[in-house]
Amino acid sequence: MTDVHTPREQAAAQGEETVTFGTTETEPDATGGGAGTGPSAGWLRWGWRQLTSMRTALVLLFLLALGSVPGSVLPQQGSDPAAVQQYYASHPALAPWLNHLGLFNVFAAPWFAAVYLLLFTSLVGCVVPRTFKLAGSARTPPPRAPRNLARLPHSASFPSSLAPGTAVDAAAAMLGGQRFRLRRPASGDSGHWVSAEKGYLREAGNLLFHLALLGVLVSIALGGLFGYKADKLLVEGQGFSDTRQALDEFHPGRLVSGSDLAPFSLTLDRFSASYLRSGDSRGQPSDFNATVTYSPSPGAPSRTYNIRINDPLPVDSTKIYLIGHGYAPVFKVTDSHGNVAYNEATPFIPANTGTFLSDGVVKAPDASLGFMGVFVPTAVSVGGTLESAFPADDFPAVSLIGYSGNLGMNSGVPQSVYQLNTAGMTKVAGSPHLMLPGQTWTLPGGRGAITFVGVRQWVSLAITYDPGQVPALVCGMLALGGLLLSFLVRRRRVFVRAVPAASGSGSVVTVGGLARTDASGGFEEEFAELAAELAAQQKPEPNNQSEAGA
Amino acid sequence: MSVNLGLAQVSGDFLVAAIVIYSLAVIGFAGDFAFGRPRRANAAGAALASGERAGQLATVGAAQGAAQGASGGAVSEAPEAAGLADGAQAVPADAGSGGTGSGSGGAGSGDPVLPARQAPALRAIWEAGPWVRAAVAFSALGILAHLVAVVTRGFAVHRAPWGNMYEFVTALTCVAAIFFCYVMVRYRAWALGVFVMGAVVVALGLAETVIYTAAGPLVPALQSYWLSIHVTAMTLATGIFFVAAVLGVMYLVVERYRARVAAGKAQPGNGLLARIPSAAQLDKLTYRTVVFGFPIWTFGVIAGAIWADQAWGRYWGWDPVETWAFITWVLYACYLHARATAGWRGRRAHYIQLLGFASLTFNMLVVQVFITGMHSYAGVG
Amino acid sequence: MFRAKRRTVVTVAAVAAVLLAGALAVTLTAGSGQASGVTYIGGDNSQQVYSAGHRALAPDFTGTSLTGTPIRLASYRGKVVVLNFWGSWCAPCRAEGPTLAVLSEQYRSKGVSFLGDDVGDTTANALAFTHDIGIGYPSVNDASYSIVQDFSRVASVGYTPTTVVIDRTGHIAGLVIGKISFQSMTTILNDVAASP
Repeated sequence: MTDVHTPREQAAAQGEETVTFGTTETEPDATGGGAGTGPSAGWLRWGWRQLTSMRTALVLLFLLALGSVPGSVLPQQGSDPAAVQQYYASHPALAPWLNHLGLFNVFAAPWFAAVYLLLFTSLVGCVVPRTFKLAGSARTPPPRAPRNLARLPHSASFPSSLAPGTAVDAAAAMLGGQRFRLRRPASGDSGHWVSAEKGYLREAGNLLFHLALLGVLVSIALGGLFGYKADKLLVEGQGFSDTRQALDEFHPGRLVSGSDLAPFSLTLDRFSASYLRSGDSRGQPSDFNATVTYSPSPGAPSRTYNIRINDPLPVDSTKIYLIGHGYAPVFKVTDSHGNVAYNEATPFIPANTGTFLSDGVVKAPDASLGFMGVFVPTAVSVGGTLESAFPADDFPAVSLIGYSGNLGMNSGVPQSVYQLNTAGMTKVAGSPHLMLPGQTWTLPGGRGAITFVGVRQWVSLAITYDPGQVPALVCGMLALGGLLLSFLVRRRRVFVRAVPAASGSGSVVTVGGLARTDASGGFEEEFAELAAELAAQQKPEPNNQSEAGA
Repeated sequence: MSVNLGLAQVSGDFLVAAIVIYSLAVIGFAGDFAFGRPRRANAAGAALASGERAGQLATVGAAQGAAQGASGGAVSEAPEAAGLADGAQAVPADAGSGGTGSGSGGAGSGDPVLPARQAPALRAIWEAGPWVRAAVAFSALGILAHLVAVVTRGFAVHRAPWGNMYEFVTALTCVAAIFFCYVMVRYRAWALGVFVMGAVVVALGLAETVIYTAAGPLVPALQSYWLSIHVTAMTLATGIFFVAAVLGVMYLVVERYRARVAAGKAQPGNGLLARIPSAAQLDKLTYRTVVFGFPIWTFGVIAGAIWADQAWGRYWGWDPVETWAFITWVLYACYLHARATAGWRGRRAHYIQLLGFASLTFNMLVVQVFITGMHSYAGVG
Repeated sequence: MFRAKRRTVVTVAAVAAVLLAGALAVTLTAGSGQASGVTYIGGDNSQQVYSAGHRALAPDFTGTSLTGTPIRLASYRGKVVVLNFWGSWCAPCRAEGPTLAVLSEQYRSKGVSFLGDDVGDTTANALAFTHDIGIGYPSVNDASYSIVQDFSRVASVGYTPTTVVIDRTGHIAGLVIGKISFQSMTTILNDVAASP
């Protein structure tokens, strides 16, 4: 008795409805071959089957999504450590508990890693057997045509003027021309039929998608091991050579050492920022441009480049990005004897990224003087407070609070360049003192003087090297390709049977069609077209059928 | 180049016009929903019947040999094949009863027994009644006005018109409206109109009032051709998922009603709910919509990663918006897996799908606006 | 059945390979062993002395001192050179300044020359410091870290301050990462200055 499907195939079809896995739900365990070797093997097998089941995949996927939520609403150590500190300050009781759970560094937390590692283990455990199955089914021919094609979801029949054998041959030729794989009756079989099957690419695409995801994970790991990220702040006119000591921040991958850095050197010639001067968006930046001169290695000829936000500088295998910018007012400090103790462009950090009102400190330990202050690029007084009206340096001013005494730098304890330790220092009378460019503030008591010389700008550059970048992209595109294949291609079968016509000449041809996974639709149209083509093919004499219905 | 304020004004005016016209369309759909011709129910029944033909034949087969896998196969395929008025199944407006229809096959009749094609769309719209005619006409007109609004905004600001939240919502609702109208006409699913177009009107109303942003140039970080690629893909995908979400809600409503009827707690034949396609049809339609949107969302995330590398120096940094786009992707992947898992099809899968859309909306309206990260380009407030 | 068994084996092998790769990646990050020919003073990696035959050649450099005079490392051949990488902004560098000043005077007669490499600094700030502390030896202006970059190829000069001791043949004989101490420097210098 021929069936449309074997029971095993049909059970598999019920599970394989959509994109991905379902075999272990309905199929007998394909990996359970061989005699069990005791109760522990049984437990292992049970555990393995649970791990690679669809239900587990569902739960793990859901956990992956759920686990990512705290990583986006809580401040994360990796991207904003200052915000984490702030969270500790504002939630002193809750924060340590959250830290214990790893919620301030979710994506590097062991439990998050456990979720995606389990997910990928489940994935590999599913994909490998299914790859074998696909290879196997690609080798086995389509099943025999069922006896009663009318039972299939799509069927049609029409008379033919050709003899049954010829009719089926013609049908087979047409189907073969459409790249169906064919099966004809073996010699000695009665009946005239042909089975045709197509669409193996669907499962191949499915498997490709899932394997490509694994490839993305491996690429990310590659980047994490061998790549690095570094930051450098440069004032206009300053340059640096790419070496560990020169970098403000250096985040190497696990297997990176300081001597792996690309040997380039770079100087910031000029930075220009332009802002909209009129209209509703007044003050919005319209362009940033950092002009740099660089040399890829010592002794190589210099080149220039304009680094913009969407236009990084590729050097060697690294890329240099323009990440931020600000103002660096130039100060000259003289000590009580009139000797110059300090003369430098001092980067101030923007507190307001719209108006670029910025904070900074000046540390002149050799004059025993320190200053804390606010710089504004376009000064305006709002109720007695110094504010900035526009982000461009149209009318710069700085307001400083002076401190005299021991800055604590000679004790050897490292200090932040942006923070002044005023313990042990006395505030200078006359603070805060407002200065315009060119002005000098002579401190009372003959302690010295500070001159606001002028204004320069600084940029912060990010230098990144990621060997996993290109592989990740390739795997991403492969995943997308596999996804599209698995959605667009249907595995389908078409059967053609011909029996001699009751009238004696010609035959009655029945066509039946079945799609394994028709959820994405479209097979009806394909079947209708195939049937119409077959019918047309079978009627070389005009006195038979009219065309297929409208 | 400075903003062309005249064109910006034109864009705003056309958007308001679109909202008004869409509202009229919604009234038309609602009128059809409440007062439309009963004949439509039969037509829907006929569409169902020609698919059920296979089910009937399979039932015959089942009687002959229940132990065979064949019947199981055919029956499981029947609900799939019995979708909405698909492709080649005949949908004569006066089909009336289902019956044996065409293709009973093998009967030895002398007539050609081939699957027939569908009646042309315009004819079907006409025959659906005056409410539907008006509603479809207004929808088409509204889409035109909407398109003009989006395009003129683009010309006004000399760039692709999805550079901030307002423009993004305007563009994605346009995509949703166009996509939905295609689905509605293709499957003759007029009853869905009031829900989807109603949601579009609400979304546009929000855009005009709460999240409106005046036309202006882009900040330097957005000045890249990747805007056209990444944000376009996200816009398209969001519009499509929007339609899927509305369909999902409708599925849950219909499914709950069906369960109550089966439990004897409600009267069958509720006039309103009978007009909506059945739960099975909605389920299938939702699935196809998500399948259409998912690769686009995937592509959008990849394009976003490429752009992030170009602009920020790393292709993935778990920035809040990136993270929520990932969560959305995982949830829709969850839905696709659920649909293939016994015990998770049906209502549970739709909950997951709606959760995915909720995360997408949360990403768009809350994360981008309120949680600072590198993606804070909404321009709101 | 045999086929199914083979599939099991392959699947298990694939999963094991994935996990093994992950485990390897983690364990590879374990610190590398101690190099040969290196003596560690003080028990940690921060102060190292290299025995003859295990000394890298110090890269030659030319530059200008803070006061504008030209400086060339090769011109110091025949003398032991203590090359100190520092900056006036760097607190540990400021703290070790007086020690270096004293040592430079103490070992001058033994043919040891001290040389500073001033990084990330302006000449005004640097000179203010050297005058304040009383450092008499010259420093080369290396504001852009280019000399550091050359040295980083052969020695780990990743931090400020770092002090490199170069023997009379121009090879790197010792290295101190971080602030120097009187004892560690005298130990190294006595050893290196003694050899020809």
